[in-house]
Amino acid sequence: MATAEVTKQKTQFTMVQALRSALMDEMERDQDVVLLGEDIGPRGGVFLITEGLIDKFGKDRVIDTPLAEAGIIGAAVGMSCYGLKPVAEIQFIDFIFPGFDLLVSEAAKMRYRSAGQFSCPMVIRSPYGGGVRGGGYHSQSPEAYFVATPGLKVVAPSNPYDAKGLLIASIRDPDPVVFMEPKKIYRAVKSEVPEGSYEVPLGKAAIAREGKHASIITFGAMVHLALEAAEAMKKEGVELEVLDLRTLQPYDSEAIMQTVAKTGHVIALQEAPGIGGFAGEIAAFIAENAIEYLEGPIVRVAGWDTPFPYALEKAYMPNVERVRRAVKKAINF
Amino acid sequence: MEIRPFTDEPIQVLAYDGSPVQNIDSLGLSKDDLLKMYRWLVFVRAVDDRGYILVRQGRAGFYAQIAGQEASQVGSALPLLKDDWMYGDHRSQGSMIVKGLSAAQWFGHVLGRMLDPTQGRLMPHGPGSRELHIVPPSSTVGNQITEAVGTAMAQRIKKRKEITITYFGDGATSEGDFHVGLNFAAVYNSPCIFFCQNNQYAISVRLQEQTHTRTIAEKAKAYGMDGFLVDGNDTLAVYAVTKHCADKARSGNGPSLIEAYTYRYGPHSSADDDTRYRPKGELEMWRTQRDPVMRFRKFLERQKLWDEEREQKLQAEIKAELVTAMEEAEKSALPDPMTVLDYAYEKLTPQLERQRKELAAELGVS
Repeated sequence: MATAEVTKQKTQFTMVQALRSALMDEMERDQDVVLLGEDIGPRGGVFLITEGLIDKFGKDRVIDTPLAEAGIIGAAVGMSCYGLKPVAEIQFIDFIFPGFDLLVSEAAKMRYRSAGQFSCPMVIRSPYGGGVRGGGYHSQSPEAYFVATPGLKVVAPSNPYDAKGLLIASIRDPDPVVFMEPKKIYRAVKSEVPEGSYEVPLGKAAIAREGKHASIITFGAMVHLALEAAEAMKKEGVELEVLDLRTLQPYDSEAIMQTVAKTGHVIALQEAPGIGGFAGEIAAFIAENAIEYLEGPIVRVAGWDTPFPYALEKAYMPNVERVRRAVKKAINF
Repeated sequence: MEIRPFTDEPIQVLAYDGSPVQNIDSLGLSKDDLLKMYRWLVFVRAVDDRGYILVRQGRAGFYAQIAGQEASQVGSALPLLKDDWMYGDHRSQGSMIVKGLSAAQWFGHVLGRMLDPTQGRLMPHGPGSRELHIVPPSSTVGNQITEAVGTAMAQRIKKRKEITITYFGDGATSEGDFHVGLNFAAVYNSPCIFFCQNNQYAISVRLQEQTHTRTIAEKAKAYGMDGFLVDGNDTLAVYAVTKHCADKARSGNGPSLIEAYTYRYGPHSSADDDTRYRPKGELEMWRTQRDPVMRFRKFLERQKLWDEEREQKLQAEIKAELVTAMEEAEKSALPDPMTVLDYAYEKLTPQLERQRKELAAELGVS
């Protein structure tokens, strides 16, 4: 982590403040960084991430767009091919699908199909995830589609410090990045965030908690559920390690190998439905490459294989009890 | 010549027999310009004829001919300047060649050789070129429209005197991206030209089944944009209208939609059977009475700028040029299988590094 150069004051920031600070710093540093999205101008975005930025940078660099996600992502593709560094906001990731084609057919494939002549150094920021009583269309975690699309990078921070450093790294990255922001913890978690620029490198996981009996491998808001479960199970004599992936594509296979070698038991945790999900990729990777360390089955914890509900949200989302049962299944093999 | 949007009939400069119906002098084209224009028409048709043979020889997997649409492609690409950007579709190689793509590169693209700017990654319907500011098209219909708008927005943000043109067919106007793109461009007053080659068929579906408006040009009204209906087989008319829209965009007066009313002679692609859907006699009528290359030749002959002798000389010259181009393409190497992992990302990810080892083992190389 490039923290050594950061000598300035550290402040307690929410993720919202940390993300805004990242955008502010990058826009000051690089004139080619422009923002576009719905309601990101005077409204500051529905979650206020871009609050105040239009006053500072003007409407040529903080662009309120018509209500069309295909237009937002398509324009970002064209801008990035030209040489700008667009950071597009999709208001909720559930609404990304009208622009899905532009993301998976265009942004993801531009470098490949042009043999490196054109590329799309752009970021799609978007709040994802449940736990906010948002119902089926303000709660989803569709990371699997993006991870399954070569050409895209996929990032999901779990805390304000990482959120700022990962967003800065994503803006500077030469490839298109889907930056998934766990909206449930936009304001629920605070951490020390340095003023000034720093990067948290893409593709590097972090140990969120050390443990020795089993590893929970997860990302985004689920890191906090994993930590809660670890605290609860400590009383039962089970010490859980929590690996926060931070980047899903490319994921940190070395860190995964290390934690599996350490504990021998794995729980792969995600909010999205289990079927075809990212936890399955983790399980497959471990089964192929780390079977010698395993002392029990890899167990996935996920949302049910249904659409995301509204009033039944609690019954849907992974919780401490679901994690506990998974840990038991993994350990008491 | 006055160029007005939303005319009931296509704007024409030349009648079907090649006689001018407008004042030609006002176009500002020298005799030399006119002769060059004709050469481009003959050249892109010859390139296309030669390219299509590669499919029939079994040396290429796909081809979408431009035959019949040469005036639309040449006439719309000529007013562009070197730094202008172009987003093509699967049938715009004529425009790409006028913008600077060489015949050898095109043949290399069709054959999937290293001379292909995409190095064999994209099926042969447009290779693109960074140097020429031509973005290679995907096969998803219409999505280049919103991208072109993004580039035009960027040109405006950066205060450059450049414009962006994007090509698409009549079928693409049913896609959401068409409406989204035109709306964005109008809202941001982007220097963009939306060039629709209405060849009357989207594979097999006729325009009447595609849309309920009489013309495509009139759709521009919905976005507060000018829409121009032009005879797409009249090179001078296409040139004049595109030049008008390019000047307008370049001087900060926003985007335009152009509908070039034309007709494709070939099937949708080498995989299509167009005898299943064309009414009898239709193709013959367009070929014999409205052919864009023949119309321009008749015009030049009327102007005493052309005759059979010059025609034969030009045909022979282009034929020789294309023999050389094809040889160059054929000499070019096939892409190395080890490069299949390159360009997915700027650098190989750790996952791709592992796959590189597997690939090397599979191919028996180190």
